Amino acid sequence: MSYLNNPAIVMDNGTGLTKLGFAGNDSPSWIFPTAIATSQNHTKKTSSMSSTSNTTSSNQYFGNSTSATSFNSLNASMPLSNNLAGKRGTEDLDFYIGNEALAAAQGPSYSLSYPIRHGQIENWDHMERFWENSIFKYLRTEPEDHFFLLTEPPLNPPENREQVAEIFFESFNCAGLYIAVQAVLALAASWTSSKVTDRSLTGTVIDSGDGVTHVIPVAEGYVIGSAIKNIPIAGRDITLFIQSLLRERGETDTSLRTAERIKQEYCYVCPDIVKEFNKFDRNPDKFAQFIVENQEKTQKKIVDVGYERFLAPEIFFNPEIASSDFLTPLPTIVDHTIQACPIDVRKGLYNNIVLSGGSTMFKDFGRRLQRDIKSIVNNRIAQSELLSGTKSTGVDVNVITHRKQRNAVWFGGSLLAQTAEFKSYCHTKKDYEEYGPEIVRNFSLFNMV
Amino acid sequence: MLHLQPHNLLIQKTLTEAIEAVNNGTPLTLDRIVSDFDYTTFHISNSDEEKSTLLLSVKTKAWASVVNCGDLLSYLQSSFTKFNGIEIPSNFENGYNYTLALDLKQLDQESVVQASLLKTMIMSFPFNLSFEEFNKLSSQPAPTTEYELNNINNNAPVFKIEYRDDENIFIKPSFDRITVIFETIFQDETDKILGKVFLQEFVDARKRNRGIQSAPQVLFSHEPPLELRNLSEYSNYTDISSSKRFITFVLFPRHFANDELKFKSVVQLTLFRSYFHYHIKCSKAYLHSRMRYRVDTFVKVLNRAKVDEEEDSKDADSEQHVRRTITGRKVVY
Ligand SMILES: Nc1ncnc2c1ncn2[C@@H]1O[C@H](COP(=O)(O)OP(=O)(O)OP(=O)(O)O)[C@@H](O)[C@H]1O
Ligand SMILES: [Mg+2]
Repeated sequence: MSYLNNPAIVMDNGTGLTKLGFAGNDSPSWIFPTAIATSQNHTKKTSSMSSTSNTTSSNQYFGNSTSATSFNSLNASMPLSNNLAGKRGTEDLDFYIGNEALAAAQGPSYSLSYPIRHGQIENWDHMERFWENSIFKYLRTEPEDHFFLLTEPPLNPPENREQVAEIFFESFNCAGLYIAVQAVLALAASWTSSKVTDRSLTGTVIDSGDGVTHVIPVAEGYVIGSAIKNIPIAGRDITLFIQSLLRERGETDTSLRTAERIKQEYCYVCPDIVKEFNKFDRNPDKFAQFIVENQEKTQKKIVDVGYERFLAPEIFFNPEIASSDFLTPLPTIVDHTIQACPIDVRKGLYNNIVLSGGSTMFKDFGRRLQRDIKSIVNNRIAQSELLSGTKSTGVDVNVITHRKQRNAVWFGGSLLAQTAEFKSYCHTKKDYEEYGPEIVRNFSLFNMV
Repeated sequence: MLHLQPHNLLIQKTLTEAIEAVNNGTPLTLDRIVSDFDYTTFHISNSDEEKSTLLLSVKTKAWASVVNCGDLLSYLQSSFTKFNGIEIPSNFENGYNYTLALDLKQLDQESVVQASLLKTMIMSFPFNLSFEEFNKLSSQPAPTTEYELNNINNNAPVFKIEYRDDENIFIKPSFDRITVIFETIFQDETDKILGKVFLQEFVDARKRNRGIQSAPQVLFSHEPPLELRNLSEYSNYTDISSSKRFITFVLFPRHFANDELKFKSVVQLTLFRSYFHYHIKCSKAYLHSRMRYRVDTFVKVLNRAKVDEEEDSKDADSEQHVRRTITGRKVVY
């Protein structure tokens, strides 16, 4: 069986971005929005779109995305029509995914939708087609010849896993499947950091992507589900916050896309906002200018970038800036999460706080987090020392940042899937046929060292 | 619409990025694996010292059988070296069948596309040999007797591409046509049925639809076609029970009259199996979405029949008189 030599495929489908690639590579081969553009009108139309998209050079969807927003952001998240009864033609074959979908949705005949919400798959019809296209068109693989590693968010219901297995085994006949929890993969990815000395699967993962931010404690590879906390602040909220600031000031361009680019290129985390405000006032060259060009590069608009450079990421640490109903800062949430875990793993959890996901990429994010958590922990220790009169041995707080952080989940998957044992941990098509979809409720953990 | 490009998109993308990086003065260090259909793996790499030269190596299942057809190496060399920035190194990367050395400073759009066609080029070699063989046979006087015809058909070579484990492609040139035969075999029961429908549709569509009359003729059979009977493995094929099927495409000179047509035919044929399987999978996805839709509507019906416990007790508290209709709806008065 020659498929044993084929590289395994690692797919991380996130709320905003999908990361696809082959095990053993150091970065995903494709990163594009988890978006699908489906044909809207039921009447048959000429396939002009497919021919133009082929001729106007494929460059529009080359290059890895860092953004999941559509270009004009108006028609995003259209209500999905699930009315299949009326469809009798080949409309189900007429769709685009990823960046091509964003481009297609500019026209009138396609509507854009995002099949994943808050990390979980909402629209299985769209997701199945999204996978179909990513496997055949983008990865150019016959799923029968490859093993797959997919990721799932924490607390994913087992029914969802079964649905995934049904699609992968029954539609695609894939050779084998492993579904890993994103947080565990993010822990594995942190082994590349020089700060990590022992390759343990114990640690707290802070995974902040586009839709939600999760704080997930993992002990020996098992997620402590009862202690997981999530925060309704993530990449998209920060982008919206920047957009609202731009609007207030009446900048010339206040599109979501501009706001997102400003976020990624200019924002950083400051140690202290009051001081930072003063610094800006004393030192005007902290203000930046961002130049927006339209697609034909004929017009230029200049957008001033001001306090949002440090105010936007500050939402994590002082949520009251932007929201009125969620007020707990991220460091406090992390502390609560760890305090909710069994006492004998808490040290390990403080010791190894691992960042993952695009929204943890702000400069100095890790440093600020470490400082804040440390001060919370030290206060508590000082108090208990005062009360009990004994000396504590102290707790080491370590926030790990590393180079693979942005796509940590994918990278961790790539690390695991390239090991020789990977295939023995997968469920194969044969197992599936023997036992049915329930088998994917359990996957044995890797013991990697 | 579900279009598979002949070239590998990912190689094209990686090369385009690498060229851009070199031009910006920040060359990338690459060590990537890229995969393609039919047990094909590419390796794109460069060394730290020489970042502007990329090695693109390929390993494919079909290689061993294609090399047997003739002088593949010089065919590839002559097809690739005519493009800017593509060189053939003197020895190939260990563990791979073939390697191209790409000079990122000289590579242009055209050569990037050519390099991403590497697998197609390898597969096209036996097709090219058949085109040559056809030219030879067709320039001789056409056979007039049965005997002469048999003679030609028995002596013409059959090129075999072993591109998958149990599935091969056979190409047989003759004096007036080229016959391309695909073996197919399905592991999965559902695929077998869907596949059969598709294949029969291939045969029938051409008869029904006038617009595609100029497409090559397609035949579908359970037994090996006559063209293969001379081969040792099929000389006495009796295994009718096996799930192997044969699909025959008959190419006439109009399908390979010029280089462009030749290329198109070859691309379509080499991608045939992948297309075929892709479409079977899409059909299954469609069936699934119909099934989900059905289940959803049934669930809705079931939910309507559900007895709402909580409201019942509330109603009892307020001592309201409640009656239910047969579908579970409440009648309050
Ligand atoms: N350099 C950067 N600085 C700040 N934010 C960034 C940066 N790069 C990407 N992002 C943001 O990260 C988000 C995408 O992150 P990621 O790909 O981890 O999310 P996801 O996996 O799609 O979502 P989730 O994990 O929530 O399902 C986007 O909102 C993007 O704007
Ligand atoms: Mg994610």
